[in-house]
Amino acid sequence: MRITKLSLVVAALVLTGTALQAQSNNASITATASVQTPINVLGAQQLNFGNVFPGVNKTVNATDLTNGGRFDVTGQASTPVTLSFTLPATLSSGGNTMPIVSYTGVHALLATQVGGVAFSPAAGATPTLSGTGALFVWVGAQVQPATNQVAGVYTGSVVMTVVY
Amino acid sequence: MRRESWIVMGTMLLGVPLVAQGKPVTVTGIRGVTFGAVLPGVPRVVLRTDPANSGQFDIKGPKGNVLLSFVMPLTMTGPAGAQMPLTFGASDAGYSQTQSIGSQVGFDPKQPFTAAMPNNGRASVFVGGTANPATNQRAGAYTATIILNVTVLP
Repeated sequence: MRITKLSLVVAALVLTGTALQAQSNNASITATASVQTPINVLGAQQLNFGNVFPGVNKTVNATDLTNGGRFDVTGQASTPVTLSFTLPATLSSGGNTMPIVSYTGVHALLATQVGGVAFSPAAGATPTLSGTGALFVWVGAQVQPATNQVAGVYTGSVVMTVVY
Repeated sequence: MRRESWIVMGTMLLGVPLVAQGKPVTVTGIRGVTFGAVLPGVPRVVLRTDPANSGQFDIKGPKGNVLLSFVMPLTMTGPAGAQMPLTFGASDAGYSQTQSIGSQVGFDPKQPFTAAMPNNGRASVFVGGTANPATNQRAGAYTATIILNVTVLP
């Protein structure tokens, strides 16, 4: 009986030793990323047609630094971006509308438009931000008031979207 | 009773070297997952076969089956506690019996995976993933920890 008891104890210890061999271990590594500067877009200047007269089309060129619409973009330096636009087909004044057509665009790295590149806003563009992370975008268009266009202030929204 | 005690103690002492004789399993983190420069709004994918940017663990252990299980982070943490989502696909982890990044068996890091250790007792696990920065993701350095647990199966 004594031997049996002893055998059980020894067997239990051996089994314990065997169970310890079913072992595990672990290690860790690190995932790292460096997020670059987010894009910021500012509507810096309105596209301004000024006074227009019924029956007389009026064009503001994208190269017009005074009246052309301008967006200022900032982001990660020297990084390509994609420009896309939502362009209204009409301007509105209350219930009255006036066609706006023939959009033009220029993008440049300087606010002076020096070295600017013409593009079609309807097609979009893929310029690269400057070494300081800047980009300037101008938009022009033509309004076509009808001969019986109702007088008033007509407005519409040009939306530019910029993504990396 | 005294004699029994000696026998038991002897068995215990014997038991220790017996356990030590079993080849222990060890896991070593060799290389982290490097997403590098990430642009807001642009997902960045690192493949497990990417020799420079994929993560790597080396395993040493006895020949036989082992169970691999990851603790995967859902996000990376950046400046001021900013979070950036991390995702892992169904084949973003790979097991290599030859420790070669070019010879892996893909598996889902979100599920436990049973792998066979080779005769030489050395293997590697590679891991990739996708960082998903928001369009307004705060700029800065982001990190997360990936843990691999390895259990020797009986």
